[in-house]
Amino acid sequence: MTATAGDRDTQLHEAGLDGQNRTALGRLLGTGNVGHAEEGSDGVMRATVRIPEDELIFDPSILVFPHGGEVELTLINDDKNTHCAVLPNNGDPKIIWLVNHSKGIARLNLGGPGTYYYGSTTGNDEGRGLTAALVFGGEVPDSAKIDRPPQPRP
Amino acid sequence: MTDYVDAGEAVPHKTLSATKGSAPATSDVNYERIQNARSEPENWLTYYGTYDGQRHSALDQINRENVKRLSPAWVFQAGSAGLHSGASTYSFESSPLVVEGVMYVSGPEGKLWAIDATTGEELWRYKHASPYDVSLCCGNVNRGVAVGHGKVYLYTLNAHLIALDAQTGDLVFDVVNGDVRAGESGTVAPLIVKDKVIVGSSGGEFGLRGHLDAFDAQTGERQWRCYTIPKPGEPGSETWPDDGEAWQRGGANCWVTPTYDPELELLYQGTGNPAPDFDGGVRPGDNLYTDSTIAVDVNTGEIRWHYQFTPHDLWDYDSTMENVLFDAPDGRKLLAHADKNGYFFVLDRTNGELVRVFPFVDRITWGEITPDGKVTPKVYPDEEGVPVHFWPGPAGGKEWTHMAYSPRTGLIYVPVQEVGATATRRRREFKESIPYWGAGVAVDLDDHYGFVAAIDPLTGEEKWRWRNEYPMCSSTLTTGGGLVFQGTPTGEFVALDEETGEKLWSFQCGSGHHSSPSTYSVDGRQYVAVPTGWGGWIEGFLPGLLGAAAGDALFVFALPEA
Repeated sequence: MTATAGDRDTQLHEAGLDGQNRTALGRLLGTGNVGHAEEGSDGVMRATVRIPEDELIFDPSILVFPHGGEVELTLINDDKNTHCAVLPNNGDPKIIWLVNHSKGIARLNLGGPGTYYYGSTTGNDEGRGLTAALVFGGEVPDSAKIDRPPQPRP
Repeated sequence: MTDYVDAGEAVPHKTLSATKGSAPATSDVNYERIQNARSEPENWLTYYGTYDGQRHSALDQINRENVKRLSPAWVFQAGSAGLHSGASTYSFESSPLVVEGVMYVSGPEGKLWAIDATTGEELWRYKHASPYDVSLCCGNVNRGVAVGHGKVYLYTLNAHLIALDAQTGDLVFDVVNGDVRAGESGTVAPLIVKDKVIVGSSGGEFGLRGHLDAFDAQTGERQWRCYTIPKPGEPGSETWPDDGEAWQRGGANCWVTPTYDPELELLYQGTGNPAPDFDGGVRPGDNLYTDSTIAVDVNTGEIRWHYQFTPHDLWDYDSTMENVLFDAPDGRKLLAHADKNGYFFVLDRTNGELVRVFPFVDRITWGEITPDGKVTPKVYPDEEGVPVHFWPGPAGGKEWTHMAYSPRTGLIYVPVQEVGATATRRRREFKESIPYWGAGVAVDLDDHYGFVAAIDPLTGEEKWRWRNEYPMCSSTLTTGGGLVFQGTPTGEFVALDEETGEKLWSFQCGSGHHSSPSTYSVDGRQYVAVPTGWGGWIEGFLPGLLGAAAGDALFVFALPEA
């Protein structure tokens, strides 16, 4: 076995893991772009996610939010096939059907910190690459913390 | 290119289902009613059925004579889809509650349903979103809900206490109560007492400082927090190193619902293992209040007394499991506790005095406890890198799954696990959110078995046992029909004769049992409900069945209608 070190994008590309039907059948999950949501003056965190043509990926595939709370995603399908998104949400997951060349919106409430995944639950879109992450940073409120001195973290 | 097609707005998944969206109104479940839950056996109002934890119902329509005709009335499939936290470890561990024909049951992954208890029709659902990366020491599980004050209460994997409207499932409040960055989580079924909702911490393998909390049932405001590891200078702190940091991450979590005595106004809470589990060198002393029963004043959160079952634990012998309250024939108020360490304890629940202790498993090698309660450790991982085998293993002679008492026989029916383990001490530094065991542990893949033991708590005598090829990993239930119900790890749900242990009936549910069955009646027809779905911390309690079929179905049984 040989292992490589260095630029991860280059490694993934050279290994044929960053696209459709190269080394693998689909695209390795978690290999897309990283994006950051913007928090509006109303406290809602907004971002846009697109599905590019023939890539079977949500772009960005990793969306970072500063903390848990109200989220508004604009979802755009630029592909020439139909997809959808089933998204985590407190109360019940939400689903939106995205026909070719369509645009919609998802309003979500999610707690943080923590990571949630969502996907296009049609065909095997999720396995091919249409699985993406919503990552919430921040800390829990002080009232939820343990009464003890600060502890070391990894 | 033309303008985009308008895809509209994402809608809740449940709108694309047959879920009705509301449940019929029921009469209010308040403190008085829960105190008298035994008087309305048609309902299962609280986690153990009654505050005393006896898990007994007086319902007797299904009995020893007719149980052979017991058949499925309906099945509810919880379902599982997509990536979710603890995907490999989800387990349906709940105990269904029933109020006037409406069942409230929680599943793994933050799910909660109201179901028609006669037909299985889904009335409403709620799913709390659980982060994929929340630290779960022992599975993607939830042990149940509390119902009362017009609400349903759930403690979520990411340690939120949420309250829902019991009729609609709409969110009433959501309070963050634990630090997921510290490895804290929530799995316990809440308990309603007076105007309070009680929950405790999960995360025993992550070096927390355990706690039990009471919240205002209407507003979600925390009324008190009881830490189960004392700070320096507090009572019990002398059992921790006075020059170290061990107490700050000492463990003693409260991940199983307490029982409660309304006359004494005391909660009986079992506490979890110390941290690190197996490396006692970093925490010399008895390490109070780990591995204990603590009697907590429900009004103030103060600890009134404690009894520690395994001082300075080196085997991961949590004592979180239930404390069953019962009275002796002379009226003495007693408490029964079958500990992971393989010994069965009977205490005076007014003061914590030891009444009786005796072994309830066949193989105990870790140490010995004399009849007067003296504890002598014998085998433990004290040398770095040297494997040590001991019985019972870290899942214990009895895990969290509950025993049941029958006032008809005076016996307690205990699900017993006979599984050993090998631990090799490996010291490590503490870091928040990283498992803090202090050892490598391998639980035995073979040489295991189990049984249901019928034990007289007044004498310690085992009246009978029903032996099973595999350890028993689910809760027992006793009924007025003279039956003891028990699920097996291989999927059978069995009914035993309370007097003899004879197996009278069984049904193969298709996946192992790791839950707490309950019983109820509607319009004069008795039902028995049991969630099935093999999972949780299998590598700890029965790794020999790590490859067994998963599942997530709730089975409900009844006698055929005439």
